[in-house]
Amino acid sequence: MPTALAERPSTAPAHDTGAGKDTLRHLAQMEGRYRALLEAAPDAMVVVNQSGEVVLLNLQAEKQFGYNRDELVGQKVTAIIPEGFAERLIADGERTAAQALAQQIGTGIELTGRRKDGSQFPIEMMLSPVESAEGVLVTAAIRDISARKRAEKHLVQMEGRRRLMEVALRESEENYRLLLDGVEDYAIFMMDPSGKITSWNVGAERMKGYSAAEILGQNFSRFFPARDIARGRPKEILRLTAASGRHEESAMRVRKDGSTFLASLTFTALRDQAGNLRGVSEFSHDLTESKESGAKYRALMEAAPDAMVVVNEGGEVVLLNLQAEKQFGYSRDELLGQKVTTIIPEGFAERLIADGERTAAQALAQQIGTGIELTARRKDGSEFPIEMMLSPVESAEGVLVTAAIRDISARKKAEKHLARTEDAEKRLAQKVEELNRSNEELGQFAYIASHDLQEPLRMVASYTQLLSRRYKGKLDADADEYIAFAVDGAARMQRLIQDLLAFSRIGTAGQELADMSSEEALKQALDNLQGAMEDSGALVTHDTLPPVVADEMQVVQLFQNLIGNAIKYQGPGVPRVHISAAKGDGKKWIFSVKDNGLGIEPKYFEKIFAMFQRLHKRDEFAGTGIGLAICKKIVERHGGKISVESQLGQGSTFRFALTQGGMKT
Amino acid sequence: MNTAGEEAVLEVLLVEDNPGDVRLTLEAFREANKSIRLHVAADGVEAMDFLRGLGAHVNAPRPIFILLDLNLPRMDGREVLAQIKTDDDLKSIPTIILSTSQAEEDVAKCYQLQANCYLTKPARFDAFESTVKIINDFWLQKVKFPASRRAE
Repeated sequence: MPTALAERPSTAPAHDTGAGKDTLRHLAQMEGRYRALLEAAPDAMVVVNQSGEVVLLNLQAEKQFGYNRDELVGQKVTAIIPEGFAERLIADGERTAAQALAQQIGTGIELTGRRKDGSQFPIEMMLSPVESAEGVLVTAAIRDISARKRAEKHLVQMEGRRRLMEVALRESEENYRLLLDGVEDYAIFMMDPSGKITSWNVGAERMKGYSAAEILGQNFSRFFPARDIARGRPKEILRLTAASGRHEESAMRVRKDGSTFLASLTFTALRDQAGNLRGVSEFSHDLTESKESGAKYRALMEAAPDAMVVVNEGGEVVLLNLQAEKQFGYSRDELLGQKVTTIIPEGFAERLIADGERTAAQALAQQIGTGIELTARRKDGSEFPIEMMLSPVESAEGVLVTAAIRDISARKKAEKHLARTEDAEKRLAQKVEELNRSNEELGQFAYIASHDLQEPLRMVASYTQLLSRRYKGKLDADADEYIAFAVDGAARMQRLIQDLLAFSRIGTAGQELADMSSEEALKQALDNLQGAMEDSGALVTHDTLPPVVADEMQVVQLFQNLIGNAIKYQGPGVPRVHISAAKGDGKKWIFSVKDNGLGIEPKYFEKIFAMFQRLHKRDEFAGTGIGLAICKKIVERHGGKISVESQLGQGSTFRFALTQGGMKT
Repeated sequence: MNTAGEEAVLEVLLVEDNPGDVRLTLEAFREANKSIRLHVAADGVEAMDFLRGLGAHVNAPRPIFILLDLNLPRMDGREVLAQIKTDDDLKSIPTIILSTSQAEEDVAKCYQLQANCYLTKPARFDAFESTVKIINDFWLQKVKFPASRRAE
């Protein structure tokens, strides 16, 4: 720490230029090295001594504050920065001025600048100390951030990703202001108007890999990727710089070893006093590798949960994060400088392109904030679905686009699964509908068939009978027998068809289920069975039976069939049948029809409910074997089940469930 | 029946498209009552022509009663029944439905259309024969009819 500092007066008259005499002398030496650098800097540069006096400033500072150089040198820095700068140079009880200053290094300080005309504007200031013979001098890099402030206001509304990018960009900009104390991190060189390199610094050697001896006299075009050379980019840059005095861009550059990197570059036209173009300076630094901003920038990028890829207007990848490396299977070096179509074959690059009606920025603006679903391709050629969010960042070289890319394979899979499930459900519903229809058609068919079959059958039955009536005994014994078989066959078929008709009508001609008295239904059934009961002397008893919700006609039929069976398949004694009902689960009544008849072997329990199933020979018991099938169908139509419990010789109990009735208030 | 009834021919219209049924009915009536003359219309249109004395049936007699099948070509039995029962001249002719259909809706519909009675065709000849005999005994022997309007 220079001791001379303490001996200097803490203040000096505004006009006293003598205060900086030594300084100026010293700076005169420095000028050789830094003059060009200083003048070329994109920011206003003001060098201040410990007393807060301006000792040096650049062209940009003159412009920004509206003073001539002479007017400002020797003045208090408070003239242009009323607050916040001078204070930072002052030691207090706890720290030396140098320590105070050290705390500010490397951080952007936002203050208010004042122009000669008194107008104020927001600035961002970066301080860097330079040791000199007369003590520590402070270089302030001052940037007018009016535009940024305005932009920031606007940016507040923008989404997080964009903010992230904005921060990142600002940090890269700040790197320019680290110029003076971090020269090794910057490549700085000069060239003549044709691009032939005339000077070369340590930073340039570090960054680009060429020693000064190797590169001096060479054309700067060798730092460009082949395709840029092919399209005349180096010459264009020289032209642009000459035209506007300055050109900035972030672009890919090639090192001596052939590797590429993303560089942030500033070109400044160097003119002599007559205004003739003497050459061009290039400041550049490696955005991907820079220790300071690079690290922060990268940390931000790398921390992003999505793959982040920054693409320039040429559709080239200029930056990517770890996640992007992982997702696409490329290493960083493999992708940098490549067309983005390598990883996103369709739908991205197209969005960057201007057409007759809109600029690239406008084209892009239409995509902002909306998730675009595309297909991405990995290095191994495999593809996967992505959702991409774009955010544009205006930069010196045009619009850079940050794409946040999310692998949506899982989501897609889930969607597909959902679609498949829905599809399966739809197919199932279709199947059910088809089944219902075919069931209905079958019922219709059975009804029509049995109905229409009756007509011709009646003819056969009637005429064979007529034949038998008129000609019995008039032909011969064989003829009589044949006719008898025909008559019997026709009669049996008639019964079958009638039963089949009855069976099919349960579904097609059933009534609406309604509240009804099961006891009433039983009485009707017993009326219908009167003949059979009288013939057999059967004794039918019953408990009080409850109201149910059912089709009355069908319940009558149900009782009639079950009791009819009980009487028909009677045991040795007098047939006894008892009907009762007990509460079952879920608002059901379980009805029992218990008899003392022949009983049924357990192995037939299932079989007896099937169509046309008979357990007895025709000459033992008449019947078509459809009675219980009808019972089953009736009970099932009412949402219940019918079952039997029996032992051979011990009688049978048929049970079925019907829905509880009489619930209405 | 009056005293002249012994010799009088009893005109009955049978509306039936099945020749087998026609013959069966003829056979059954022959056994039940020899004085019945059975006229046959094979479909509904012909039945109405017969009843209204149209076309080939200009000289058709007015039947004492009508035996009407339901399922007929051209015009079915229900329509025939409806036309008879809405025709002031014809509605007094007893119309007996003789059908194979046991469907509740058919029975109900026919009574609504003012059928005089509904009988199902028995499956066996003996039962059919007894049905015809009952028809004869009731409609031809017991029932009193109004004086014929078409007699004039």
